[in-house]
Amino acid sequence: MKLHFSGNRALVLGGSCNLAITLAELMIKSDLFPILTYRNDEGERYISKTLQPFAGKYNSHYLDFSDRDSVNSLFHQIGDDIDFLVDFVQGDLESLVASADEDSIYRYFTENVSFRAEILKRAGRAMLKKKRGRLVFISSTAADKPNPGQGFYASAKLASEALYRNLGIELGKHGITTVSLRPGYIDAGRGKAFIKTRQEEVMKKVPIKRALTGQEVAETILFFLSDSSKGVNATEICIDGGLTAGK
Amino acid sequence: MNILGEIKEILTEILDLEDREITPETYLVRELDVESIDLLELAVALNSQFNIEVSDDDIFLKKFRLYVTEAEQQKTDMVQYVTAKLPFLTKSRAEEIMADLDGGPALKVKDLISYVVWQRKDETFA
Repeated sequence: MKLHFSGNRALVLGGSCNLAITLAELMIKSDLFPILTYRNDEGERYISKTLQPFAGKYNSHYLDFSDRDSVNSLFHQIGDDIDFLVDFVQGDLESLVASADEDSIYRYFTENVSFRAEILKRAGRAMLKKKRGRLVFISSTAADKPNPGQGFYASAKLASEALYRNLGIELGKHGITTVSLRPGYIDAGRGKAFIKTRQEEVMKKVPIKRALTGQEVAETILFFLSDSSKGVNATEICIDGGLTAGK
Repeated sequence: MNILGEIKEILTEILDLEDREITPETYLVRELDVESIDLLELAVALNSQFNIEVSDDDIFLKKFRLYVTEAEQQKTDMVQYVTAKLPFLTKSRAEEIMADLDGGPALKVKDLISYVVWQRKDETFA
């Protein structure tokens, strides 16, 4: 089955993570034009280095969820011309709820929820002008089944899922749809080291007895950007090999 | 085409109105049954059509009642307070809205015109 896409320009937030790079390659091969965001020089260099074979077929821009001016700057540079948005951005605040530093709490939710809402407002309005758009949020199984210490992470993911869900409810009739994907264990990026040390745990908990590869998660994301998945709107889907399905 | 004409075209398209007369005195919510999603579309269309920044809260007078309440609490002149917050409204229009608030959302087409004119003037002198 060949995938078809309504549009070409794909804004990829948090574009310097491994999964985003894998997705960008798939996008380019599908004649999409990814615009990847980075928050520091290291991220920019990593994008340039890994996508060097595809020079001219993608773009990258600065965006830091702790820097509100960077939103204006980003949308000024890309114009209102986006057809897709894939959102990988997520900060960490690993702490028990009753232990967390108050300043960290306020900053965390500002950066991971409020800032995201601002981006979605801008993206939603840009897509409304074209009367089409597809937004995919990369959430986590932790949203549904967090471990101790993941309360803030889970909270930010759930709040963000709700924003994406409502965007799909509110703008669906104008051809703008959304989906949140909840990956489980992925053998890529920050998950790689974790899985290496917890191999047995992963094997025990996941019905398919393995972590997912970055490639297969990226292919799943690409599918959810395509016209074939348009009926899936304003909802959350697990990509976890069945991790959260059982007891 | 003048601003009223362009706004009428936008409203006709968004609300799928046919043969409906729209004047500056037409109420958007009370008469045209405009809903929040329609207002969002309208804001985006005005931004595109007139190349202006649009604050949904300001242009649609969403905080008008709040500002009136704040003025009462601060014991300050209501008209002056409201027009400082919503500078595209004239004093006479602010007074008109205050007298009309009991009837429901007071937003009229002429408020959209005032906003567009005010924003364009601001951007001309920026």
